[in-house]
Amino acid sequence: SPLEQFQVLPIVPITFGFIDLSLTNEVVILFLVFFLLGTLLFSLLYKDGTLSLIPNRWQAMLEMIYKAILSLVVDNIRNDTAERFFPLVFSVFFFILSLNVIGLVPYSFTITSHLIVTLAIALSIFIGINIICVRRHGMKFFSLFLPPGTGVAFAFLLVPIEFISYFFKPVSLSIRLFANMMAGHTLLKVIAGFGFVLMGKAGILFFMHYIPLLILIPLFGLELAVALIQAFVFSILICIYLNDAINLH
Amino acid sequence: IMLAAAQKLGAGLSTFGLAGAGVGIGFIFGSLILGTARNPSLKDDMFRYAILGFALTEAIALFALMIAFLILF
Repeated sequence: SPLEQFQVLPIVPITFGFIDLSLTNEVVILFLVFFLLGTLLFSLLYKDGTLSLIPNRWQAMLEMIYKAILSLVVDNIRNDTAERFFPLVFSVFFFILSLNVIGLVPYSFTITSHLIVTLAIALSIFIGINIICVRRHGMKFFSLFLPPGTGVAFAFLLVPIEFISYFFKPVSLSIRLFANMMAGHTLLKVIAGFGFVLMGKAGILFFMHYIPLLILIPLFGLELAVALIQAFVFSILICIYLNDAINLH
Repeated sequence: IMLAAAQKLGAGLSTFGLAGAGVGIGFIFGSLILGTARNPSLKDDMFRYAILGFALTEAIALFALMIAFLILF
């Protein structure tokens, strides 16, 4: 079954009664990204603690990502205090990017293909955006649900729709990432399964088992592109939601 | 056995929703090509918005696919 690659398998089971703190394969990848990629990669770029003015290649790549996310944040949040949200968006982007790309390694585990992980990220950012909006605008927070320039009769129809679509935002954000990752990996597994089955048959079918493998190559490229694009879209949508929250329409 | 058969039938039928998403993605990239033909400021904003629109439309396609998987398993 192509969906059984998403199983969370405990490597070292540690349970305290009903609290399950076991070291699963998901936790291994999470620690890999959090400690290794986050700290080691950034420390590899520095020459004895400082960034050089003429960048070496790793630093140039990181500067490109930095500039892209900075332009994203500053262009989308049209406010003077936009830059203080840059660390949040950058860390979310880099985190999701590395999680997605690590999942492409053949025997690895994509933890963003679990709804609970993406829902945790999206929901915490949603709660954070709500807190930012309420703190900035007080009771005027409820004017978020009324788009400007609508008549009174129209407003009665529009406010429940806006309400529902507001609460749909974190759900859609998380499901977009989750569904893209899961569907991509399932597709890869299904086509690889075709190749595997074809290899076991006799006759001309044995020589046709290269065809699924050849199809798999551009599909893998598509998966890589989808991984990058989904991380980018997640962060650009966070910037748009922050813009909505800070400038109330 | 009826349940398994009905599950497979439902999953197959629910992939009809991907047709609309396919039209949407084609429309986005078609308008990207037209917009580039009018005003080749491509690498700045248009391509970025096209990728954003592609990802959002793909999300709808994947909502339909998720329902297919939910029915199937």
